[in-house]
Amino acid sequence: MEKHPSYANLSPYLVKYPQVAGALFQTYNDLKLAQQWTGLEIIDVPSCSRCALRGSRPNTEEPLSVVPCSLSESLSTDWIRTTFRELGGPPHVYLAINTEDSSIVYYKISPGIVKPPL
Amino acid sequence: MASDSDADRKIQLRVSNRKAYVWDVEDIATLRAKHHICGVLTGTLPHLSQQNVFLGVPLVLLPEEVVLLVEKQLAVLIDDPSAHQPASAEALARWNTEREESAKRQIAIAEAERASEKAAKLSTSEEAIRKRKEREAKRAAAARAKALAEGLPVEDLSASTSNLLIDESRRPSTPSKSAPLTFNVTIPASSSDIEWYNPEAHAYSTLESARAAGVWDYPTTSFERAKCRVFQDLWEKGHFMGGGIKFGGDFLVYPGDPLRYHSHFVATVIESPTAPLTPMEVVAHGRLGTATKKSHLFCEWDERKQEVTYFSVEWAGFG
Repeated sequence: MEKHPSYANLSPYLVKYPQVAGALFQTYNDLKLAQQWTGLEIIDVPSCSRCALRGSRPNTEEPLSVVPCSLSESLSTDWIRTTFRELGGPPHVYLAINTEDSSIVYYKISPGIVKPPL
Repeated sequence: MASDSDADRKIQLRVSNRKAYVWDVEDIATLRAKHHICGVLTGTLPHLSQQNVFLGVPLVLLPEEVVLLVEKQLAVLIDDPSAHQPASAEALARWNTEREESAKRQIAIAEAERASEKAAKLSTSEEAIRKRKEREAKRAAAARAKALAEGLPVEDLSASTSNLLIDESRRPSTPSKSAPLTFNVTIPASSSDIEWYNPEAHAYSTLESARAAGVWDYPTTSFERAKCRVFQDLWEKGHFMGGGIKFGGDFLVYPGDPLRYHSHFVATVIESPTAPLTPMEVVAHGRLGTATKKSHLFCEWDERKQEVTYFSVEWAGFG
């Protein structure tokens, strides 16, 4: 992991939150290299014991918030509420669910009753 | 036991074995049109009994629907088994007499119909016999004329032809196989018109009184309480709800009458703000919602703050 180009940016947070280090590393690389997001920045969210990421999808301007977590974690709606609050109340938050075989799946969470897209 | 003076104005929910049924069609319509409570029809239709796509009364309600209707004082719970009181001898005699008279009426009508049918048949066979006689007479006359012309004895011929005629009339009429006369016994779907059915004396207008009497005991657990509160919140927002089993949730949430709309949301009730929620649940619910063009709602009930918080989940579409 240390030899990876992304390690430099992430090292302080990987050390601070060891339990989600794998998820953070995986998600950061996926967004940066596979999804090709731009303007990627790391945001410390101590009350959720992890970091969140913010950036934009290719060819878009709108900043999106991504919170990495591991499939084996136990979350709660309180945790989701805290995440929204700490990130400054964005319209939606993407939960990046990481697995042991390095698969990632992203789910969009919005507060309130939001109708599905047509 | 609470006997409510306006039990007849509120909708009567007939409880049997902890399930609430609505047997009156007007009540089913009122529930849907006025209170946007749909329920599920579960009765077999007598004329279409070999299928279950179309079903009839009774309507069965979700326990959350029952709780809401009673708490909002829109309905009362009837202890249905107890409401069917033992019939007095006089009442039974009256019921028996009514049944006998109905049977007699039906038999009388059936007999009259059969008599007129027979009369109709006889006239045609009389016609046939008459025509046959005419034809025979003509043939006999022609044969006699022929015999005279050829010099044969006439007596033999006339005797033989007249024998034919006698044999005709002597032939006994074909006995008609008359089936025994049947009548129908009507079994009413609703007990409302039965003399010994007394719902007013076994009505409970509050959940507490029904629970004390052992008639209704939902909700018992904190999860059941959370489901009732979430249902109530969604109902107060004007939504129609249905059971969520077909889409892996607790409720289906419709923007309007389910006969007109597909549901937009599948709702899962979260018992409390700190109840464990696994990422796998987010994946399972979110993906199913997206695949069926719906959104999945996580509905959190906070017992302390007494409020519901909603989170909508869908697949991100990338990754």
